[in-house]
Formats: sequence, structure tokens, C-alpha cells
Amino acid sequence: MEYLSSDKIAIIDLTSSKIIEEDLPEELVEENVGGVGITTALYKRFEGEDPIVLGAGLLTGTLVPGAALSVMTAKSPVSGKISHIPVTLHAGMELKYSGFDYIVIKGSSSKPVFLWIHDGIVDIEDAGDLWGKDTWAATDHIRDLMGDNLIQVLGIGKAGEKGSDLAQVCINYWASGDRAGLGALFGRKNLKLIAIRGMGLLEIADPEEFVETCAEFLDDVREGEWAGKSGITRTSALLGGEDISAWLDPLVHRHMACFNTPLATNSFVFLDEDPGLLKESASEEPGFLVNDMGALLALKGLGLSASDACSVMKACAKQGLNGSAVAEICGKNGMTEAKKIIDALPDLKGSASPDGAGLFSSWAASLKWESKEWERRQAVAYIFGIHPLFALVCPELTEEKLLELSSLATDLEFTSEGLDDVIAQVTG
Amino acid sequence: MGIKIDALACTACMACELACSYHRDDAFALLSSCIVPYRALEKKNYFGVILKEEDSLVAARPEGLEINRIGEEQDPEKEADASAKPMLLREACDLCEDMDQGPLCILFCPVDAISLSDED
Repeated sequence: MEYLSSDKIAIIDLTSSKIIEEDLPEELVEENVGGVGITTALYKRFEGEDPIVLGAGLLTGTLVPGAALSVMTAKSPVSGKISHIPVTLHAGMELKYSGFDYIVIKGSSSKPVFLWIHDGIVDIEDAGDLWGKDTWAATDHIRDLMGDNLIQVLGIGKAGEKGSDLAQVCINYWASGDRAGLGALFGRKNLKLIAIRGMGLLEIADPEEFVETCAEFLDDVREGEWAGKSGITRTSALLGGEDISAWLDPLVHRHMACFNTPLATNSFVFLDEDPGLLKESASEEPGFLVNDMGALLALKGLGLSASDACSVMKACAKQGLNGSAVAEICGKNGMTEAKKIIDALPDLKGSASPDGAGLFSSWAASLKWESKEWERRQAVAYIFGIHPLFALVCPELTEEKLLELSSLATDLEFTSEGLDDVIAQVTG
Repeated sequence: MGIKIDALACTACMACELACSYHRDDAFALLSSCIVPYRALEKKNYFGVILKEEDSLVAARPEGLEINRIGEEQDPEKEADASAKPMLLREACDLCEDMDQGPLCILFCPVDAISLSDED
């Protein structure tokens, strides 16, 4: 595959510690486009070996607005069904530039390991020093070890190590859209984390036309309903949820966007620092990046203050726990005090409601979309690599536009009929 | 004429960095951009934008602008920003002089944090 690609798939066998590299066949892209289309195809190919398949969308890492997303496909230890987890913030982009388009992780290691993916190289490294660390300490450790603070980390905390159904794979220090318990799958494989750094190059078939089309499109949509809005609470309101700005805003330091996503869907709150501080905080850990609106709303629903809710979310992320599930279980058990919840986290047990149909993460939930249309929209986002929340608030980013951009970028012919087939394969 | 950056409006989305890389390489490669959001202090949520100009390295920080003249001795008391060193090796901003649309970082910034200034 010549364009928008590193032309490489890594197949990692944790049982034997062997790594095989394959070219990314153009036919695989023609038939499955990219992202979840290809992670699903690769998952089926290696299904008997309990694989985790990680991959970027076709347009991830480009100038297409919202092109932030990579995807992790695996069988959920909780539901037993195949699930697709969004990889957002800057991690999705870093994977695209890492020198690999897709990573298949099969088998399980006999001892704790981590994967280091960079410059077209995959290394399986000993994680003896990392096992037992929380996600924050593990992320710090990896970045210090490699001397690079921009390394992106998909990792688990103690919850994943213990195989908890509530475990999630976190992104760096923060929560993720993993509501399928893939943190437990990492733990079962003795896989502490995947460290990714992308410094590669993506060629474009028709660069001038592609970039011009991206610019025109951004210009067309920048006056959309989302324009001028920023942060997780306003994103929630845009999607038809409760507007909790007045509750959270007093804590917000700044809003942060995922890679090339026009709507900043994340809000950083200061918990131990004045949110109005402009200079670099003297505190090493002044707060928390809130990027899971479901968890936030559920904790608010328990009657917690914004500060307490964010403190609980921070504690969940450190331990690699799904904050949304934690909130639901605490609600069922009548736990409504932040300190009691945080103290209970290491041994918290219970089961949360199934995550919708389970295929795509309800992390990107929307009250404004009917379930079938929502599922198709998520499939499209996960195929092309568009931020799942931006895909919902910006319907102007149509399937036709994404197909047009994909053809311009790759010189391959993508059609609506072909896309229908890929979506049908992904959604069953 | 120069680039003006509103660091507080920036959301660290990196669209400017990517657009700049296209201007340099006719491809996407983040190592060649002369405008870069610095985001190494992730836990502190401290971020802004660094711009390499012909004679200076501009750090648009949340608390204000810092201009370091290239080649001039810096304050030894002050800790160097780790993002600054590789930037010195990159080509300086030429305001995308060969692009009809003008500077691409301005064109692609979704929050209008970058603009053209009459000042050099």
C-alpha cells in the first residue's frame, strides 16, 4: 500500500516472543478500506489465538478534520463478544506514524512484558519493573526510560493485572473509551502496556487536491452547531445530554482537543491548584483530564460535587478502572461519598450494565441518534479514523465526502456500495 | 508581516503542525514543521506553541510571549525547554510564500488561535 500507509503489519506472538512483519496488501485496503474494516478482517484471521488488533483509520493523522482515531479490536472478556475500542487523544495519530498500519497481538507471555512500537520497529520488552505500578507511574517510567515525553501509552493499572471485569486500557494518564474490559485481556496476556511513538511520513496520491479539499471542508463546517464551543460539558450538551457546564466550569483549567479535532472534547480540571493559573504549575499532578462524559455524568448522578467526581475519575484512571462502570456499581451499593468510593476501588467488584450492543463503545453516546444510525456512524468513524464524538456532532462529514477524500489520498477507487459491504461485515 | 499566536485559544490539536509539514514535504511528516504545539508537560496541562522564525524562536506560552533571538546567549539560570532544541534545526517560517491560500497553519487552525500580524 503506497499512500497513507507505512505498508506494514506486525504480528506479535507473545507466547513465543516472535514477531512477523507483513506488507499491507492493497487488496486488503480495497476490500476493507481501513481502521475497523481491517482490524475486523485481521481479528477473524487470527481468531483462534485470542488476538488484540490495533490499527489506524485510513485517514487518521491527516488534515481531514477529526482524523484522530485508531481502534483496538478484541473479544471482550466481559461480554465474550468482539468489541472495538476508540484510541483517541494523540495516541491514534502516533500509531499512524509509528511505521505500522496494524498490529496483531496474539498469545500470552509467560512473564510481564510491554511493547515498544516506533520507527517501523516493534520490541517486546521486559515489564518486571512496571508490573504493579499504576498507569501514571508506568507512563512516567516509560517516558523517562526512553527520554521522550511525547510517547503515547496504552496501558493497564492494577485492575487489569488482577483481571477485573472493570479494568480498562487507559491512554497515558487518562481514561479511555474501553468499556469492554480489555484491560483484563491485557492482564491475562501479561501485557502491561503498549508504548507508541510516530515520527514517520505519510505520502498522499494527489496532495494538492487533497489538502485543498480538506481546507474547503473545514471552512464549510466551521460555522456548524459545534463552532465556538469547547470542552466536555458542551460536547455533552451538543449530543443531547445534560449541560453541566455550571457544575464543572469553576474547576476547568483549559480544554484540550484530540489530534486535529476541531471540537475540543476534553477538559482539564485543576483539583489542587487555582484553575486560573496561566504559568506552569509547581505541582507535578495538579489535576485531571476529563474525557469520559458518561463517567462524569454518572458520578454527578450519585450526588458528588464536581471536585469529588473528578477525584474519583482520577483514582479510577490510576488504577485502570472503567469510571462509568465504577459509578454504576457504587450507585447500586449506595456508595455516594468520594472518599469511600476511592478507598473501595482496589477491591471493587460487581457488574455493570452491558455496553449497548457492545460492538462500539458507548463512550461516544448520543441521545440525538437512533441506535442503528448511531452504530453506522460509529462504524464509519472507526473505518476512516474520525473522532467518534466529532463524527456525531459534525454530520456534514458525510460518507460521500470521506470516500472522496480517501480516493484522492490513495488513488484507489472507493464506492458507497463498497463501504456498505465493509460496514455490513463489521456490524454483522 | 509575521505569525501571531494566541496561546490561550490553542487546544493543542496539532493541525498547524501537520499543515506546516505538508508545506515542507508535500506529504505529512511532523518532523519538519516550523510551528509546533509543545505538549510535553501533559500531567500539568501546560501547553502552548513554538514557532521557528528566521532570527528567533518564539514561544507562545499561556502567560505570554517569549522571544529568543537565535545565536544570542540565553539566561543560564533559566531551564531550556526540551522542545526548543530540535526546532533550531528546522527551516524557518516563510509564511507559506508559495501557497495561494497564505500560511497553512492559519488556514487549518480550527479555533483561530493563529493569525497574520503586520508586525515582523
